Amino acid sequence: MLRYLALEIRRMYRDRRFVFFTIAIPVGFYLLWSNIFARNGGIDTDTGLDARTYLLVSMASFGALGASLTTTGARLAAERQSGWLRQLQATPLRPWAVIIAKVIASMCLALPAIAAVGITAALTQHVQLSPGRWAAMVGLMWIGTLPFAALSTLIGSLVGADAAQPATVACYFALSILGGLWMSVSILPATLRHIAHWTPSNRFADLGWSVVAGHTPPASDAFVLAAWTAVLGALAIAAYRRATVRS
Amino acid sequence: MSSRTQDRRHYASGLCESSVIPMNAISFTGVSKSFGAVRAVEALDLRIDSGQAVALLGPNGAGKTTAIGMLLGLVRPSAGTVGVFGESPDTAVRTGRIGAMLQDGALVPGLTVREVVDFVRGLYPEPMPLEEVLSLADLASLAKRRADRLSGGQAQRVRFALAIAGAPRLLVLDEPTSAMDVESRRSFWASMRAYAAGGRTVLFATHYLEEADENADRIIVMAAGRVVADGTAQEIKAAAGGRTVRFTPGDQPTTGLDALPGVTGIEVRGGSAQLSTTDPDATVQALYASGIRVRDLEVKGADLEEAFLSLTGDN
Repeated sequence: MLRYLALEIRRMYRDRRFVFFTIAIPVGFYLLWSNIFARNGGIDTDTGLDARTYLLVSMASFGALGASLTTTGARLAAERQSGWLRQLQATPLRPWAVIIAKVIASMCLALPAIAAVGITAALTQHVQLSPGRWAAMVGLMWIGTLPFAALSTLIGSLVGADAAQPATVACYFALSILGGLWMSVSILPATLRHIAHWTPSNRFADLGWSVVAGHTPPASDAFVLAAWTAVLGALAIAAYRRATVRS
Repeated sequence: MSSRTQDRRHYASGLCESSVIPMNAISFTGVSKSFGAVRAVEALDLRIDSGQAVALLGPNGAGKTTAIGMLLGLVRPSAGTVGVFGESPDTAVRTGRIGAMLQDGALVPGLTVREVVDFVRGLYPEPMPLEEVLSLADLASLAKRRADRLSGGQAQRVRFALAIAGAPRLLVLDEPTSAMDVESRRSFWASMRAYAAGGRTVLFATHYLEEADENADRIIVMAAGRVVADGTAQEIKAAAGGRTVRFTPGDQPTTGLDALPGVTGIEVRGGSAQLSTTDPDATVQALYASGIRVRDLEVKGADLEEAFLSLTGDN
């Protein structure tokens, strides 16, 4: 299991262009939005954060979401189709170990995306947080990517290689918008606002917003994220078993 | 007498039995598998002893790949039970007793040959040393190449290396030479025999009669989901209707040729006579002894197509 995890991480980081884009996209958007909105000195009404700090969390979330979602889905679907996973099925490596390793590997790519947006915010927008808050933000947001990594493996186990990419992008955008990562949830229509409250992406970003605003995230964030992880993880393992064993 | 003593006696007799009767490496008991309306495998009963090299011979769609899938726990049988060294396929795979080379098993992108082989090795409890795997699969010179940038034949060798990396007691190969040229085939089978020589059990699927003939102790012929013949290469060939002896008689009479030893049929067409025979040696000897001038003599084995037609025709 650890050997397989090491293999997955090594393969992932060997794809340099992919790693570059997962980091460059959120950093680029952070620079763009913070330069537009921070000039007006806007304050987010929900969190009381100034725009640069608010956007730091939004774009770190956006980047982490993208990294954890896009790493595995298409790749898993392709490996399923190519027969590599069938080959693995005929070794002592267990199916659940494959899924868990895929999930952890996706999370490992989220970490540099979160860190890069943080560094950009500190260097270019002079966002200042205590070392403890930085550590708490990065740490919590990293663990918070768990449900997205699980969703990604679920997509990879359910659909074929051709459909995995668009399915992933659809989930990515829907979760970003509903989660309030692009614009504050407060400007969404009432129905969407209620849905947003239960999305993992909104709760995920809320971990970060709470920490940078200086308070402990509400326990409901952890519950909602844990529930999503449990459901998506169980579905991913079931879908993977169904996809690899012909019954 | 206490029940514990009885238990112990049962246990002791169990031990005796297992030391007398060699354990089957593979057993299929009443195994069937349907995919929807398609019956891929029907009522398969098979026992394969440890230490044998066995060929599963049959045309496409005979059920070979399905049978292998069930053996590896990749396909669940609709009925019956499959055993590998007396355990379920799942257990045998999990404990590293089986190594498999599947059809079209693509290699994982982004890694070198050495990395992939070493990774798979590490999944098994008692793997073969890495250098030994690479040299047995003839990969030493390709070890640093990216595994996803190899020719078809080279990739097949890597797949073979993955199958033997864990030094499994049972090696299963599903049409291993399909992407290989003649030279690669020859060296591939030499590698396979070297691996099997260690007292290991090998089961391979093929649709080439020659491959089965040259590399297997026993050949199991499947057609339409059933076993239609089972035995040594000689027995299979005999069951497949023997061979043909062909020559050009010119304008000599061909009457009486069907009485030659071994001959089961005769066909004269376009100046050439073709004799079907179960014993070509005896037929040819008798043919020369008969006083006929024999020109353009040709002795051919039954080709696979004929073999299948005749074997499936009997059922």
